[in-house]
Amino acid sequence: MSARVERDSAAAVDREMRRPVLRASVPPIRAFWPALALGVLASGSAVALLATSSWLIARAAEQPPILFLGFAIVGVRAFALGRAVFRYLERLVAHDAAFRALGTLRVSVFRRLLPVAPDGLNGVRRGDLLTALVRDVDALQDLPLRVLQPIVTALVVSGLAVVGIWWVSPAAGLVVLAGLSITTVAAAAVMAALSRDADARIAPLRGQLADAVLEYLSRWETLRAFGADAERRERVVELDAQLRHAQTRQSAAAGSVAALFTLGAGATLLAVLVVTEPVFLSGSITAPVLALLVLVPLAVFELVAALPGALSAWWRVRASADRIATIVPASTPSELPTVPTKPVAVPDGPLTLRLRGVTARWPGESRRAVGPVDLDLAPGDRLVVEGSSGAGKTTLAHVLVRFLDHGGEYLLGGVDARTMHPDEVRRHVVLCEQSPHLFDESIRQNLLFAHDTATDDELLGVLDRVGLGEWCRTRGGLDAPVGERGRLVSGGEAQRIALARALLTDAPVLVLDEPTASVDPDRAQSLLDELLGAAAAPDRAIIVISHTPVADRLATSRLHLAAPRG
Amino acid sequence: MHTLSIIAFCWFAAQSIVGVIDGVPIEQLGGPIIATAVSIAVRASTQALLDALAVRGAAMVKSQLRRRVISAVDAGGQRLLGSTSSARLATVLGPGLDALDGYIGRYLPQLILTVVATPLIVTALLLADPVTGITVIVTLPIIPVFMVLIGMATQAVQRRQWQHLGTLSQGFLEVVQGLSTLMVFGRQHRQAERIADVTEQYRRRTMSVLRLSFVSGFTLELAASLSVALVAVSVGIRLIDGDLGLALGLFVLVLVPEAYLPLRQVGAQFHAASEGIAAADDVLELLEPAPPTASIGHSSPVHAGRAATTDRSTGSAAPARADEPQPLPALSLRGLTVRRGERVIIDRLSGEWMPGTVLAITGPSGAGKTSLLGAVLGLVDAEGDIELDGAPVAAADRASRIAWAGQRPDLTGGALDSVVALGAVRVDSALVSRSLQWAAADDVPRDTELGAAGEGLSGGQAQRVALARAHYRAVERSSRVVLLDEPTSALDAATEARVIAAIRALADDGRLVVVVTHRRAVMAAADAELVLDLPPEHSALDLGGRDSEAPPVALARGQR
Repeated sequence: MSARVERDSAAAVDREMRRPVLRASVPPIRAFWPALALGVLASGSAVALLATSSWLIARAAEQPPILFLGFAIVGVRAFALGRAVFRYLERLVAHDAAFRALGTLRVSVFRRLLPVAPDGLNGVRRGDLLTALVRDVDALQDLPLRVLQPIVTALVVSGLAVVGIWWVSPAAGLVVLAGLSITTVAAAAVMAALSRDADARIAPLRGQLADAVLEYLSRWETLRAFGADAERRERVVELDAQLRHAQTRQSAAAGSVAALFTLGAGATLLAVLVVTEPVFLSGSITAPVLALLVLVPLAVFELVAALPGALSAWWRVRASADRIATIVPASTPSELPTVPTKPVAVPDGPLTLRLRGVTARWPGESRRAVGPVDLDLAPGDRLVVEGSSGAGKTTLAHVLVRFLDHGGEYLLGGVDARTMHPDEVRRHVVLCEQSPHLFDESIRQNLLFAHDTATDDELLGVLDRVGLGEWCRTRGGLDAPVGERGRLVSGGEAQRIALARALLTDAPVLVLDEPTASVDPDRAQSLLDELLGAAAAPDRAIIVISHTPVADRLATSRLHLAAPRG
Repeated sequence: MHTLSIIAFCWFAAQSIVGVIDGVPIEQLGGPIIATAVSIAVRASTQALLDALAVRGAAMVKSQLRRRVISAVDAGGQRLLGSTSSARLATVLGPGLDALDGYIGRYLPQLILTVVATPLIVTALLLADPVTGITVIVTLPIIPVFMVLIGMATQAVQRRQWQHLGTLSQGFLEVVQGLSTLMVFGRQHRQAERIADVTEQYRRRTMSVLRLSFVSGFTLELAASLSVALVAVSVGIRLIDGDLGLALGLFVLVLVPEAYLPLRQVGAQFHAASEGIAAADDVLELLEPAPPTASIGHSSPVHAGRAATTDRSTGSAAPARADEPQPLPALSLRGLTVRRGERVIIDRLSGEWMPGTVLAITGPSGAGKTSLLGAVLGLVDAEGDIELDGAPVAAADRASRIAWAGQRPDLTGGALDSVVALGAVRVDSALVSRSLQWAAADDVPRDTELGAAGEGLSGGQAQRVALARAHYRAVERSSRVVLLDEPTSALDAATEARVIAAIRALADDGRLVVVVTHRRAVMAAADAELVLDLPPEHSALDLGGRDSEAPPVALARGQR
């Protein structure tokens, strides 16, 4: 029970964070009302079709002149046509509105990402979390389509039907209302009891199973060598069985819910029959109306049976919204730089860089990740930063390009870097990341975004400088694709492209963060030598962070980072 | 049973209504009303049962396929893993198999239900009212015919569109994943527009696909509802003429939509089915035997190499411990040959090494250094004799007597202690501390929980933890042969020195430590060096293939 309470209080905290996320995913009402109206029309036609056709048949049995039935016959045909046409239009319009909302939603999530990216996202240092974030954002499309649309349609149409029935026979109206409410509430209760837990377990179980399978396959040699393969295989089988169990449970819930609606529909039919019988006998309603009253609930139940699906879609959407809200903090953590109100520019002329007692922390971590660091850099310097892993080398790189805020003093051209716009700092201090992102575009596009006015000759020139000229030509020139996440490019080539990008900006300070991290050990040395050789220039200062040793002729000074103190 | 209950429900419900209309007192209608209630209950329970069975079936098929692929990996492991990336395999076995849910869980049962239920309902209709029965028989086949026609007309367009859609739907993901790179170049602010633009394009393209896709749904709905209208009107007219009783008329009216329902649902599940078939194809393709390509080193190049061996020493100093005299060599190779496909990577390599030795294996990339370790370990097929402590040991049993750290850390997920003690029945916490200390990995907090596939450590930390894991194994199992593949490639000089001293100590403890390395400091510390060479024509012209074999996954790893 305490777990339940805990979960509820957590939910209460989340609600505040979740709301803006959910609001952005709902299309504005003026874009969405046509879809809702069409949905109501389509479902209304379905109910009306059954109503008119049962009235028609019952009335026909009284053998009136056919003229009396003309209206009903036209109605039956019109509703039949209307049901199909309205449904088609509804689906189109609703999807269109949902996709439009998706655009707004993606932009709004992205705008929320900007002030905290890249270092303020909770736990997003794992690449797959970003993928999950994107998937969650896209899952929010279901809110208008699979949650709001069916709920609104079902409520409006069944409400109208109940009112209509009540108007003819108050007793029948009450019976239908009671039948619908009891069935829906019971179905929701069954779902909450059986399927909600299973729903909640299925997604994590899927993830765990996928992780276990991936670990088993990608670590197969290691597991074999350590004799741990049998145990891991059993774990996969075990997770698989658990997942199967949860899925079976979920489907049992779905099956019982469907059965409940069938039961409810049948019971209501009988109940209506029983309560309308005296009314009929008293002569206040005719036989055709009786048939209509008894059969219409069947169509209404079919409609309301969509509600449990909407409910579980809502649970899924809410879980996605919660995840987005937790990954993307609503406010900027204090460890991140902010944009000053009156940003100053980096001074012109040869640029020097000076750190005194600089320290930094990662958001959400209590321990200092680097520092204190002192360093001085002038144009033409090539500083090698060494230190054991965990000494904060990458943290230092992120401080230099103002991804992270710092304690102590960071002067750029003699001016405090905090008084500048972080973008302005990054125009002068360019980082070659440890895992540079290559976009799924041509080589040209991957270079151009660093300097969008560069000519093809300039691009080929810079590729030649980083040792990729020949490589680019053999691949068919600048238009050759690099593949999704640089799939068609090796680790070394990716680093070279990243350096080419950085060189294109002509920034006076260049920071290379572990350029050989994803390169074969026996190629690391030559790659590092070549990269440094290509980057070196009398007016450019270079900071290279590397565990691969840097030759003395390529370095002008060295900085050894010790593990952070305090 | 389910279908019969539907028919019964329609029949008895019609009877009850007509009974009331005919003025039969409700007390006398007990029979039909109870029958209605019973048929409702049967219908509801059979429906629930059908659904549950279908989903269970799907889950069972999935489990079975998953297990079969995994045992296929175990049987032909090297080959299968060599030809397919493990990420792709995992995708096929995870989300890929989930696509089977729609196929096995919904489409197939619906298809079976259709085959059984439709004829039954049509027969019932024929018996009750031949005119309606014939109407339904005539209109029913129109649905699949139209579906096929529409399907053929739209397929080409859809296929063209899906490709665009794939790229477009990636647009947002790309921007988010590349955000830090975009920020480095000050390009992040324009991306909001780009996202809006890409999503808008995505919407337009998707809508043009959906406009066509929904047409098939429209046809289904239209055919079904028009048929109901047709039947209702014809029944009505015949009722006026007195050709038909009201009870039959109502029965027919309620039953007609049920005749179309199964077929409509088959249509609705159709695209789920095609996804499922594609997924099944993927899995079955994996289960087919792949062409034999042995490779243990994920990053070793494919080009051939003749193993020219320059063996500086065939033995070494006597073991350090006087109380454990070891006259037998820890490892001896006789005529060891390793092939990758047709090519010979290691050619008749022989040698023997005593315990207490640090043996460095050097040579250019592609000379077969990693393959040699794989062969000794028994993971790579090899010809010739491999002896441990002077006695031949079968390939399958060698891994249990050898400690090994591969070129990639390949850490598993979980608590640090269990990661280091991989393969041990019981985690010996004191030994874990010793091993971490030994591998200079004592800076890694002991309470670290590694993510799936060992995420959460920096590259250097992961490498040292992998070393600690090998040390744990060596000590726990008293392995006399320890194989280390590039153990210091991600370490700075100071840490490397610590690791070299540790390797020395491990050898002095009465073990043979074989180290594949490029580092000069490691070579200098070795007692013996085994140089594997490429044939001259390969070593000269190596520039073209520079870096090209580094695994692309590496891009995604090692953030901090």
